Amino acid sequence: MREGLSNLKYVFAPKSIAVIGASENPSKLGNVILKNLVDGGYEGKIYPVNPKYQELLGMRCYPDIKKLRGKVDLAIFAIPAPLIPKVADDCGKNGVKGLIVLSAGFGEVGNNKLEEKLGATVQRHGMAMVGPNCLGVLNPEKRVDSIFFPFFKFGRPNVGDISIITQSGAVGTCIADLASYYRVGFSKFISYGNGTTINDADLVEYLGADPKTKQILLYLEGTKDGKGLLKALEKVNRKKPVIVLKAGKSKSAGEAAMSHTGNLAGNYLAYQAAFRESRAIEVDSVIELFQVANIFSQAMPKGKKVAVLTDGGGLGVLAADALEKEDLEVAKFSRETTRKLKKVLPSYVNAVNPLDIVADSGTETYEKALKILMEDREIDSVIVIILFQAPAVDSRIIDVLVKESDRKVKPIVVVAVGGEYTKNNMKVLDSYGIPTYGYPDAAVKSLKRFTDYSLFLKDKK
Amino acid sequence: MAKKATLPEFEMLGKYKIKPLPYGIAKTEEDALEIAKKIGYPVALKIVSPEITHKTDVGGVKVRIKDEKRLKHAYEDIMEGAKKHKITGVLVQKMARRGVELIIGGKKDPQFGHLVILGMGGVYVEIFRDVTARICPINKQDVKDMINELESHPLITGIRGMKPIKLGALYSLMVKTSKMIVNEDMEELDLNPVIFDEKGYDIVDVRYAK
Repeated sequence: MREGLSNLKYVFAPKSIAVIGASENPSKLGNVILKNLVDGGYEGKIYPVNPKYQELLGMRCYPDIKKLRGKVDLAIFAIPAPLIPKVADDCGKNGVKGLIVLSAGFGEVGNNKLEEKLGATVQRHGMAMVGPNCLGVLNPEKRVDSIFFPFFKFGRPNVGDISIITQSGAVGTCIADLASYYRVGFSKFISYGNGTTINDADLVEYLGADPKTKQILLYLEGTKDGKGLLKALEKVNRKKPVIVLKAGKSKSAGEAAMSHTGNLAGNYLAYQAAFRESRAIEVDSVIELFQVANIFSQAMPKGKKVAVLTDGGGLGVLAADALEKEDLEVAKFSRETTRKLKKVLPSYVNAVNPLDIVADSGTETYEKALKILMEDREIDSVIVIILFQAPAVDSRIIDVLVKESDRKVKPIVVVAVGGEYTKNNMKVLDSYGIPTYGYPDAAVKSLKRFTDYSLFLKDKK
Repeated sequence: MAKKATLPEFEMLGKYKIKPLPYGIAKTEEDALEIAKKIGYPVALKIVSPEITHKTDVGGVKVRIKDEKRLKHAYEDIMEGAKKHKITGVLVQKMARRGVELIIGGKKDPQFGHLVILGMGGVYVEIFRDVTARICPINKQDVKDMINELESHPLITGIRGMKPIKLGALYSLMVKTSKMIVNEDMEELDLNPVIFDEKGYDIVDVRYAK
């Protein structure tokens, strides 16, 4: 790995951070970032840099980076674009290893020369630069946070093993915010903006080698290096799943993408070819990016046969429709499974798949039926549909699901359709690492992608 | 005798051991008769002219011509329809088999380089856009995956008593085409249609841009 890329470790886990353009004005980025680092509990040394101030938030403020020679690992830039190449050069000369450049005003608005100059400077010093024109980096483990959104508006996710590479700061933020809401943990968040010296392909490669990242989410509008991206995807996706959302498939969307990150969205057919070739997992929406990521906490399915367990008949039928549509199989219960089910279920329940244990069944019936389905080796995955609205169902069912899921025998996914009461239970399930979906088709779509990936890995062995 | 007159597009295929339908370019009616006799009836006649893009609009395409008498009529009709245009000649082509129409193509992408494309031809490409692609080069396994990615793949692999097309021929044609796209640095390529049945295929038309 080249120096400019391996130095990303100073961006994700710096011992010290300088905020270039730190400010006392709460409406300036330089103020929010400084405050977020302090409030977020970053444990390293923080150096505000701005010749205007002697002191900021009770910290000594430095006039420039030269006064901090050898002391700074990471510099976060919140100053106007034209000033940046010069200060970046000073950073390089004074031992800074990583840069996050939040400022816009480069290639995306036609200032290509300025961007080239910045890129050349950064490369000359072998520094790792994220940006420009981005939100930068969030590493919950090290409390490194360059995102200039206030804490009360944007929840930071807990420590986990999902990392996200996003060309759009906005899309990445929405996903991280969702993750925080559903208490799904993140390892690293990188909004790379124009990707001048470190692009999508580099980041896939870097996270591919990062032991703390178990899966990679990639939001992409356009790449500058298609062949490099294909190579990185082929290399990394067979080790850990890369889930991709490609935006800018239509002509007008492509033009919008060009104007906000300066990258051509390109011909979607080519992107699709690259994803199919590398077997990266392509999704169609932001919410799906999150939903598919969630399912990977489960045990890998060994095949396409799915059992559906429900206390509401109609939802079982919808799930069966979705399975058929996505080319998964509604498993046929073995004779033994049927016999075992009949023994534990009320006489008016039909022991067929989808298994409808009807609305007056409570947690105990779910538990007995689920155990039997988990034991049947001819069943590869189980979808559990819970009508939380029914009187006999309550949150004790969560314990049952967590217990069975923790055995890591086969994936369990939950479907719960409903309002406030249901949503609260869904949130708890998600926080225990049980992927929970608001609709049967969403659950099946995610399960399908999970199954395909699992079978791809099996093929490779 | 115009036996040696050829179309550069078809000749290009030959370089990569890809066989188009037997054909010849006729400058006169006598040429046309001779070529047709050589390649065997039924044949199709198609106007060749740099000025005419939509051949059917000027009555420039005649198909399923069974014998000499019909060939003479067809030839005269074509000449009549095209008399206002400068023409290179008339393509006399062996009539293609009936079967599954596929499109095989190529494109040079600014980010990813050369792509090879497989799609269902005819109405399927126009209505359903049933196409898939790979970054060149490709191998046999890639072609197998590509076939499965097409919504209408049962038409290729066989459905309800319909036999599968000659899959081995499709694999090798795709791999050869991907080589050609890269070696010739083609901006765009269209083999359209390529008609397959269980015995083989016919390449009816070729266009490319470098």
